[in-house]
Amino acid sequence: MTLATSTAPGVVQAPPAPRRRRGRGLYRTLAPYLFVTPFLAFFVAFGVYPMLFALQLSFTDWRGAGTAQWVGWDNYLYLLQNPAFWSSLATSGALWLMTVPVQILVGTIAAVILNNTLMRGRGLARSFLLLPFVTPLVAMAQVWIITFDQNHGAVNAFLGLFGLPDIGWLTTTVWAKPTIALLFLWKTTGFAVIILLAGLQAIPGDVYEAAALDGASRARQLWEITLPLLRRTTAFLVVMQTLAVFQMFAEPFMLTQGGPYGSTTTAGYNLYKYIRVSDLGTGAANSFLLVVIVVLLSLATIRFLRPKD
Amino acid sequence: MAVVSAAHGRWRRTGLAVSALLAGALAVAACGPSISNDAGDGDALTLPEDFEPSGEITIWDRSGDLFQVFDTVIERFNEKYPDIKVNHLAVDIDAKLANTLISGAEVPDGTFIDDSQVSTLSPHLYDLTELLAPYEKDIVTQKLAVGSKDGRFYGVPWDLDPGLLYYRADVLEDAGVDPDSIATYDDLLEAARTVKEKNPDSYPIRLEEGAYLGQMWLEMFANQAGTNMTDEEGNLRLDSDEYRQILGWLQTVVQEDLGAKATYMDPTDLQRLDDGTTVFVPWSIWWDYVPQTVLTQTQGAWRAMLLPAWEEGGARSGAMGGSSFAIPKDAQNPELAWLFYEFLVFDPEGYQLVYGPNEIYPGGLNTSIPSYLPALRGEPLFDPVPALGDQNLWEIASQAANEVPGGVPTPSWWPSAVDYLGDNLQRLLDGTMTPDEVIESSTRDIQTNLVDRG
Repeated sequence: MTLATSTAPGVVQAPPAPRRRRGRGLYRTLAPYLFVTPFLAFFVAFGVYPMLFALQLSFTDWRGAGTAQWVGWDNYLYLLQNPAFWSSLATSGALWLMTVPVQILVGTIAAVILNNTLMRGRGLARSFLLLPFVTPLVAMAQVWIITFDQNHGAVNAFLGLFGLPDIGWLTTTVWAKPTIALLFLWKTTGFAVIILLAGLQAIPGDVYEAAALDGASRARQLWEITLPLLRRTTAFLVVMQTLAVFQMFAEPFMLTQGGPYGSTTTAGYNLYKYIRVSDLGTGAANSFLLVVIVVLLSLATIRFLRPKD
Repeated sequence: MAVVSAAHGRWRRTGLAVSALLAGALAVAACGPSISNDAGDGDALTLPEDFEPSGEITIWDRSGDLFQVFDTVIERFNEKYPDIKVNHLAVDIDAKLANTLISGAEVPDGTFIDDSQVSTLSPHLYDLTELLAPYEKDIVTQKLAVGSKDGRFYGVPWDLDPGLLYYRADVLEDAGVDPDSIATYDDLLEAARTVKEKNPDSYPIRLEEGAYLGQMWLEMFANQAGTNMTDEEGNLRLDSDEYRQILGWLQTVVQEDLGAKATYMDPTDLQRLDDGTTVFVPWSIWWDYVPQTVLTQTQGAWRAMLLPAWEEGGARSGAMGGSSFAIPKDAQNPELAWLFYEFLVFDPEGYQLVYGPNEIYPGGLNTSIPSYLPALRGEPLFDPVPALGDQNLWEIASQAANEVPGGVPTPSWWPSAVDYLGDNLQRLLDGTMTPDEVIESSTRDIQTNLVDRG
């Protein structure tokens, strides 16, 4: 099908009617927006609007009923002067230290091993690694409670075989955090391995071939090629896990209810405590402070792990 | 230089973008919806004079056996009110009620509610003062107090949960301790020492390890001693002789190794109860659920008696827990919901159906007692309890109900106080805080973080 209607000499081809062209151009300009409108509508309704509402809430003293009192920065100032808020951040920080570096180290080693094409049963090993990640956390936490029970848990029964005393894994301030960290590690290390594997597989093979031709050993290739080229993936993983650790809620909720004595009250759990008692203004302020802190931590991570090339 | 300029430019652009976003966000937020709803204190529910009850109501109850018990009442309610259809739903009320009341969506016509929540949720609830007026003089005073705010009633008082002292009759008999000799908490210490002498590995008095239940437990002792965390106006009064006495007594139990901490119904708790390590359980009446359902080896060996008194001749019980029924302001048919609750709570047919022998509890429901005095003064509603050696628990519980001193409205921040008082009580039970430190630290933190921000 053609739009040309006449090729006779001396006859000037009439341009398309301007109105029609303008309409089509407008249609072409608007069409993409039209197609994304449903998504945008949902995003604005369920993403942007709630966020702005929560922001407004954070400047009020609202308990879910009655008229909200505008209190300005009071909620933020209260939180910044509140030891419980800083303690929750410190708890999240401690959990971060106990989990993320370990995960990066273990995940990288596991990913390098699983990336070896000569290894047998790679698919099976990857499936096993991902199994904890896809298992519901609630079920796993229940297993943790039974396993780490001070008087009837399998771990203390095992230690008892060697004459070691019972440990209050979930009931003492010293051990509760590491026990929660262990659950987090078990649950999410498989995810870290998969991300790192993807990063490894994105490294071009000819880089290794060139290095081998130059006589670089496997260890040197790992140190000089693999790890530097994994920085971007590692940065992504660290950001993701930082978000997860600072938002951690279900683990302390299921295992310790934030105790003993608030020692496992994470930043995410602390904000829930305000919401649970209908102190919605303080809860919203807490969540925005958390957003700011996580963004700053993520930016610092990205800057620190930025590839030098 | 060019690189530096580019970097500067990038940062400037980022800064401008963030500023613009924040400014936009604040502007939109400022233009956002008014954060309010119609809820406000003071909406009283009354019945119109020409009221003809007909329509449909949705009633929320906590899931579980109690739900099934309430379910059995509906048929008889409909014999009295045939034109009222009751949709009875089992709901996780702790998780759903507050959100539903705040959002105003799918609000039930009536709901089961913990007494400790009445004050918090009262702005969303109908003021039932006028409807309760004819019954007021016949309701246990403590229940009227915990279901009220600023002198108005927001909850239809349901169950009363008096504190009792549960004990192992067989162990006491072996140790030569006569339970009737335990009239004060000093007597209880003495009895525990005697049991400990007989069995040095025992920790006779059960101490609660959970911070939330621990705080409830402490408040039972306080209520018995005639006080509570706050006075009628909501002012803190932890710094008192009564709290010093209670906490001092608990400290003695810990220091003399006469008690051990356990979390309610966890495996350690149950094992100690079954093997005779724990002998005395000062707790609310609803603890009888434990020997009736899970203490397989010692069922029948447990007994209940009145709590010991803090002073010679003092009150022999205090309340621990309890629940009410509430009618949300957004209810479609609040008047019909009132009729349902009036039948359930104040009509002999209603409360006999719940507490008396029924399909779910052939011997009757014995984990609490009604808070309506005519029900307490009548014939026993439930049978003697086999797990308590066929003891007549109704008689003891009714006696205990008369001993419960009047209470005060529960402050809305009560659950949050667990972070301070509940935790500090645990520290005392761990031996790392003294009674004075618990009082001082809890008072300071509750005042700063909860009362002042109320």
